[in-house]
Amino acid sequence: MKFRAKIVDTACLNHFTRVSNMIAKLAKTCTLRISPDKLNFILSDRVANGGVSMWCELEQENFFSEFQMEGVSAENNEIYLELTSENLSRALKTAQNARALKIKLTNKHFPCLTVSIELLSVSSSSRVVTHDIPVKVIPRKLWKDLQEPTVPDADVSIYLPVLKTMKSVVEKMKNISNHLIIEANLNGELNLKIETELVCVTTHFKDLGNPPLASENASQDRNLEQMAEVHIDIRKLLQFLAGQQVNPTKATCRPTELPLGSTLGGHIYCGLVCRASHVESGCSLNSMNDDHRSAAHVQLTLQQVSL
Amino acid sequence: MRVKSSVTNVFGKAIQALSRVSDELWLDPSEKGLALRSVNSCRSAYGCVLFSPVFFQHYQWSASVKMNDTDIILNLNCRLGMKSILPIFRCLNSLEKNVEKCKIFTRSDKCKVVIQFFCRHGIKKIHNVCFQESRPLQVIFQKNMCANTLVIQPRVLAEAIVLFTSSQEEVTLAVTPLKVCIKSSNEESMDLTDSVYSEMFVGPDEFDFFQIGIDTEITFCFKELKGVLTFSEAIHAPIAIHFDFPGKPMALSIDDMLLEANFILATLADEPSRASSLQTLYLSQKQRRSEPIHSNSKAGKNITSKVPEYISRKVEPKRLYSNETPTNISTLENCGSPLMKRANKDITEVPESDGNLSEVPESSVSDTEDVPGSPCLRKFSCMFFGAASSDQQEPFSLPFQSLATASGSEEDMNNGSFSTF
Repeated sequence: MKFRAKIVDTACLNHFTRVSNMIAKLAKTCTLRISPDKLNFILSDRVANGGVSMWCELEQENFFSEFQMEGVSAENNEIYLELTSENLSRALKTAQNARALKIKLTNKHFPCLTVSIELLSVSSSSRVVTHDIPVKVIPRKLWKDLQEPTVPDADVSIYLPVLKTMKSVVEKMKNISNHLIIEANLNGELNLKIETELVCVTTHFKDLGNPPLASENASQDRNLEQMAEVHIDIRKLLQFLAGQQVNPTKATCRPTELPLGSTLGGHIYCGLVCRASHVESGCSLNSMNDDHRSAAHVQLTLQQVSL
Repeated sequence: MRVKSSVTNVFGKAIQALSRVSDELWLDPSEKGLALRSVNSCRSAYGCVLFSPVFFQHYQWSASVKMNDTDIILNLNCRLGMKSILPIFRCLNSLEKNVEKCKIFTRSDKCKVVIQFFCRHGIKKIHNVCFQESRPLQVIFQKNMCANTLVIQPRVLAEAIVLFTSSQEEVTLAVTPLKVCIKSSNEESMDLTDSVYSEMFVGPDEFDFFQIGIDTEITFCFKELKGVLTFSEAIHAPIAIHFDFPGKPMALSIDDMLLEANFILATLADEPSRASSLQTLYLSQKQRRSEPIHSNSKAGKNITSKVPEYISRKVEPKRLYSNETPTNISTLENCGSPLMKRANKDITEVPESDGNLSEVPESSVSDTEDVPGSPCLRKFSCMFFGAASSDQQEPFSLPFQSLATASGSEEDMNNGSFSTF
């Protein structure tokens, strides 16, 4: 198994750092899947109720100037590594003004991802910083659990409002209930609702667009006004929205506080899947990016909590 | 003394840096200025910030006390709890904005240190901090005897510090004449499979002064380094690092016109062969000691507090070693443990005597019981030894073993009594 890659472009490096920071905020450990043309960060929290999973895909040629990998075997030309997400984001934190960043898979007493950063320093000599991040190689038999989730066609897909606004609404709602109801229809209307014995609070968003649906059948049959409803764990949603400090359209952001929106670029849309069983139902947040150059496609799935 | 308000910041930062060494602070005024000292409980780190009298707007020190008809100058043996004094100097920003004048003086009759802040709008804040009588430890480290000296700007060091997480306790500095490497300690990385190993290479031209006599790798505690770094950033002065081989203590020092800060840290001795050869010496000397010493040293972390007791028993407190330390020290360069020796020599035994050396007779040192004079000596040295034997977990135990043993036979022109160590 071999892996070595190099980033020389500052913008790519910053973007990669931001993605890594986002992952670090979401979960303690994550899986890194390396394949010939892609890099994936995979989080899966498969629980019976209200679990979270995330699939983040980076086109390697958008980030790395050099990329070589050799998988476990010829038929299975992939590498799956498990690592502590914070270790990677901390290592990348020192790469803010780097001239070049190299990552490679090494074996120093135990398997490591060695991140080697060449820093520009004030004097002529450049400084080299190396971090050896311990990783665990995930055996092939476990790979099937880490595949790209097949999200059933959403009943309703809708673009989300400005994430900052949504975050502040959800944050206040968290104090009242753990259970958030998301309702949306194909008419650009989204409601965030919480219900308790004493109080029921709803925030209405209007005139949000709807992305084109995958299957035409669904869109034709459905009444535009009809709301699809999904119940999710509010704290998990907040985890995704966390760190939202800045308007996503602004370009300059401090890496540690970058919001979901600008990490991914472009619009986030939410797909609601309503099925009979709550295991299949849920809400997914997806990024749709027109700018392929800095693309990191992310799909976050929140499983419905039982009613 | 009174300090200027802008200078309160520096004073406060010194206290904060020393708070990283230990929970106790000694206030030690002398004609040289006001020294703030701190030693950690396992005696593996020592910090001293000496403010020259010029630092203060007004500095007055007088401590002559008559005792038993002899004119003996007693140092102010003042030990403060860091918990008492640190909060006073914690919010330095607000201190700087509001405090126009700060006055610090002691009231020995009530064992109090009084700190008065004269603030804006006529507000006066007075803090009375009780102190305990306790003789400060004093360690003199011969910095210019070290083979390796590096002087670095705090900014560069700060960039290196970022690499390491706060969970990492130790850091290794590896040097060759061509380059310097700051890296995670190997000991730690091996144990914890989840920890990241980081290293950073710094070229010689990034140092203000670069002198490497021997290629070496030393491992020391991270916490104190961070404290010193913050302090040096506050006073915009570079940090000088003096060190030799692993096991021998290293010094971090900041030299400014108005103050001099020295932090002596133990380093991990990682050469088993060396340690073991000295180990045998240590054991043989150990055998000569009796149990009481060991049990004392093991039990007593606060041995300094016991010292005055013994001193007071003495009829005539005398300096155990002569006062002319510099010349004596220079001849002892061959010994591997100047720290220990200095410590032995410069334990601030009470007063300037009339040049009389201690009457701690040779026999009393190896003697286990009741000679009043010697226990302090032995206790102090036992503190170093004690730290070695009592705390198995402490990574710095090894260096003190080697320190102790090296201070062997080629000892001491002044006092033959230590030859038994």
